[in-house]
Amino acid sequence: MEGLFEFLFKYRPVLFQEGEVVLGTSWSTGLLVGAVALAGVVAVVTYAAAGGKARPRERTLLAILRLAVLGVITFALLQPTLVISSVVPQRNFVGVLLDDSRSMNLPGEDGAPRRTWMEETFGPEGSQLVDELSERFALRLFRFSSETSRVEAVGELGFQGTRTDVAGALTRAREELSSVPLSGLVLVSDGAENGAAPLSDAIIPLQAAAVPVYTVGLGAEALAPDIQVSRVEVPGTVLKGTASLVDVVITQRGFGGRTVDLLVEDGPRIVAEETVELGNDGEPIVVRIPLTLEESGARSLRFRVPVAEGEAVPENNARDRLVNVTDRTEKVLYFEGEPRWEMKFLRRAVEDDENLQVVVLQRTAPDKFQRYDVDGPEELRGGFPRTREELFRYRGLILGSVEASYFTRDQLQMISDFVGDRGGGLLLLGGRSAFAEGGYAGTAVEDVLPFYLEEPAPDPRGAFQPLTVSPTPAGLNHPVGQLGGAGWDDLPPLSTLNRVVRLKPGATALLTGSAGDEERIVLAHHRFGRGKALGLPVQDTWLWQMHADVPLEDQRHEILWQQLLRWLVDGVPEPVSLILGRERVEAGESVQITASVADSAYIALNDARVVARVTHPSGAVTEQSLAWSVEEDGEYTGSFVPRESGTYAVAVEATREDGVLGEASTILQVGPSQDEYFDAGRRTPLLRRLAEETGGRFYTPSTVSNLPEDLRFTGAGVTLTEERDLWDMPIVLILVLGLLGTEWGYRRIREMV
Amino acid sequence: MRILVSTALMLAAVSLAGMSVVGPTTHSLEWWSEVREGDPSTGTGGALYRLAALVLPLAVPLGGQELPPSPDLDPRALLLESRGEGGGPGSHWEFYFTRAIYSEYQGGWGWGRRARWATDYPKADHQFLVVLKRLIAIDAYGGENAVRLDDPEIRRFPFLYALEVSRMNLTDAEVQGLRDYLEAGGFLVIDDFWGERALQNLAYQLNRVLPGRLIRPVAMDHPIFSTVYALEEIQQVPNVGNGRRGGPTTECWGCEPMVFGISDDRDRLMVVINWNTDLGDAWEWAEDPWYPLQYSTFAYKMGVNMVAYAMSH
Repeated sequence: MEGLFEFLFKYRPVLFQEGEVVLGTSWSTGLLVGAVALAGVVAVVTYAAAGGKARPRERTLLAILRLAVLGVITFALLQPTLVISSVVPQRNFVGVLLDDSRSMNLPGEDGAPRRTWMEETFGPEGSQLVDELSERFALRLFRFSSETSRVEAVGELGFQGTRTDVAGALTRAREELSSVPLSGLVLVSDGAENGAAPLSDAIIPLQAAAVPVYTVGLGAEALAPDIQVSRVEVPGTVLKGTASLVDVVITQRGFGGRTVDLLVEDGPRIVAEETVELGNDGEPIVVRIPLTLEESGARSLRFRVPVAEGEAVPENNARDRLVNVTDRTEKVLYFEGEPRWEMKFLRRAVEDDENLQVVVLQRTAPDKFQRYDVDGPEELRGGFPRTREELFRYRGLILGSVEASYFTRDQLQMISDFVGDRGGGLLLLGGRSAFAEGGYAGTAVEDVLPFYLEEPAPDPRGAFQPLTVSPTPAGLNHPVGQLGGAGWDDLPPLSTLNRVVRLKPGATALLTGSAGDEERIVLAHHRFGRGKALGLPVQDTWLWQMHADVPLEDQRHEILWQQLLRWLVDGVPEPVSLILGRERVEAGESVQITASVADSAYIALNDARVVARVTHPSGAVTEQSLAWSVEEDGEYTGSFVPRESGTYAVAVEATREDGVLGEASTILQVGPSQDEYFDAGRRTPLLRRLAEETGGRFYTPSTVSNLPEDLRFTGAGVTLTEERDLWDMPIVLILVLGLLGTEWGYRRIREMV
Repeated sequence: MRILVSTALMLAAVSLAGMSVVGPTTHSLEWWSEVREGDPSTGTGGALYRLAALVLPLAVPLGGQELPPSPDLDPRALLLESRGEGGGPGSHWEFYFTRAIYSEYQGGWGWGRRARWATDYPKADHQFLVVLKRLIAIDAYGGENAVRLDDPEIRRFPFLYALEVSRMNLTDAEVQGLRDYLEAGGFLVIDDFWGERALQNLAYQLNRVLPGRLIRPVAMDHPIFSTVYALEEIQQVPNVGNGRRGGPTTECWGCEPMVFGISDDRDRLMVVINWNTDLGDAWEWAEDPWYPLQYSTFAYKMGVNMVAYAMSH
């Protein structure tokens, strides 16, 4: 297409894009136009007045053709000229950035390693491309992977880099060549970008400096045959023994319909295994694999699909993920407004779970309370907590059948804040004094609920409704829905006194119940502020333990409550929390430390002293103070650069004048990255975007021969103005001859000649 | 003193049978498990029974029979009628005071056709519930609710009350039903049975239900004595006749009240046995001005505590 354009218009499209078309005639434009107009009038009049049998429509068409010929001739007579800036030979520089990462060893389109083209083109034997570039520009070569540096020859590249930091490379080259006239940068890469900085960080300064980037994409866009573990979604922190669902995305080419094993390995042990049927060729599949980790501490899990024969990239069949398995006791406050069986059986269901402590406050009579499983005589001595500090020490809160009027307005707001500000988990159970029947409409707690409250039943007992409970599709894919064994089959019906049928936007129903023709919500949840809220408007899940249809050995009631409460407190923040910018880096890469600090009422503090303690693999310990980020209340940041490979332990401690606010810790894996082998096909969209946004062009090895010519007319660097005639473009002659021929042919057909 | 006399009598009886025993004043009470392992008519348990028959001149009814359907009392119909048929509107209550219908030995000493499970029924149940609802904020059904032990429906009612168990003779179906009920999380209160022989019979029956679990005295520092009301001693609650007359509180010579229990693997009480006392009569006759208030007060406190404990542990 570009060749045809060049044939018709004499020059390649890029010259028209970069240049400007002007009229170069020295004649009076007005005089010339007037003469042509006169000729046109004569032509029209002649056609109109000529004798013969031609009809008016035919005369009009012939006049138009004749006028078109005159128009083209007039254009040519005006001496159209292409004015373009071209670089002054050997006065400008071009930076050539060569990808030095491991992925360049992967096969290219022709089957040979991608590096081969680079070595041949920029090698010592030279090439036409380099020769043409060298004729006009002073070339500066750079190699880049995780770092960027100047090289004199391609032989200095080792192709062992573990990252492709395109943004870093562009920035480095631009900065290094900022003092010389720079016509552009040439990026030779597969585009498998996996650097830390976003690409836009590099593009914007290039746009500001008007430095175009010309990209040369190497390799095929898709590698086949290949199986890749593309993504693993795993929680960063889990409670020991909690069943989690991990999403693993597997992509493949050339193995469509095959069955493979997905293994989850914790060191030498396989902790989970799933047989997976791959989808159609090229279609990714999501595998949801249940995972329960029984060993506490930081666990490095490997999600692996055994390598199949003939795979193009065996290295992308496994991904490592770090999971911090905590073995602490999560404290949940359960406030029950009256003696109920639900409380007894809930306590029993979770009593074997060493990581859950359900502290029960039960109102047995007005202003009379029983406390169970408290840590000491002072805990909950005054009944339901009256201060944020007292309530926020719990990570989860369960409200049973207790009317809203029992609480003060402040306490209701505090319950809302427990979820929204503190980030705790709130679970509301059904009952005669719960939800609408408990008078929660219009309270702060109503806002937290995942569903809307209906009109309260005049007599809750009259609203009694048996429900046959079943999980929703979302429930089946939720940790709470993993009952194991018989699943949700054959569980006896439950009952409710609270009609709940409408979810709030963004909420998810996990269980529903059939009440005749109406479907009721049995379990729903949503995020609210920093925390989560769940509603379970049934009153007798204990029947799943006690009912005669449930075998004694059936553990589903226990599993349900353990999973439900573990999920309730999962991810609930502490007053002091710690996040690292990345969980795995290479030695020498900077790691950002971010700590969030709040007091026991979870009010962000900006005047704390926060110290990060880094324990290196060698055992050495370094400390540094983190500074308030200013951007966010309670956020403190700092960074460090690990120099050793291995596992680093990072801990922060926040203190104030009145004592220690809290501590948090995590680990960091330092070692070579395997990222280069994932999504290792040529990323044409990225390379094309980079070129287009900076005014450059995208090439492949087959089209890169235009690069030297294109670079001449970028307008960047030291340039001179060239004027190129356009009147002699072949298109002009073709149009004149074509139009005249058409006129003549038409007249022949119509027998006017 | 009476405890000492009672214990001495039991020790004497058992030593006559040549058994090694540990008295009830200890907390182990392994001797009860010995008793429970034997059939009343055979083995060492049988020997103990025979000795007990000498000490306590009561005829031991042998050869149990299943409770025949009573033509003048259909508890199922009564139950469904009182609770509401089929789980329809108005049928749900959180708490049902549920009375166990059980089979017993036929013939011999007894109250004729009157089934012992129905002693004080239903007035005691009603009276207890009236007061229970005033003492604690419980959503309790105010009517009676009697269910057979072999009825699967019993699993809907985790609180169960049985009394006058001296002639209890459970069928295999009842044994299985009660075992499943207790293992699933149900709670059984036993009341109003007196004397060693009655206790031995109960021990035998419970051993069939929960083999391997020991009957142990419940210490006064157990939470069941303080769940709602703090009780400092176990009072012997007399039947209505003795109470009105101001006579002895006991119904058998030298009988002292005790509370025994059977616990699950986590040391939670599954069965509470009120021996040598009659809480049911105190509930039933609490409004009687001639019945001493102190006994009904204690009976209600104990009853409330048992309900509260059952609903929380």
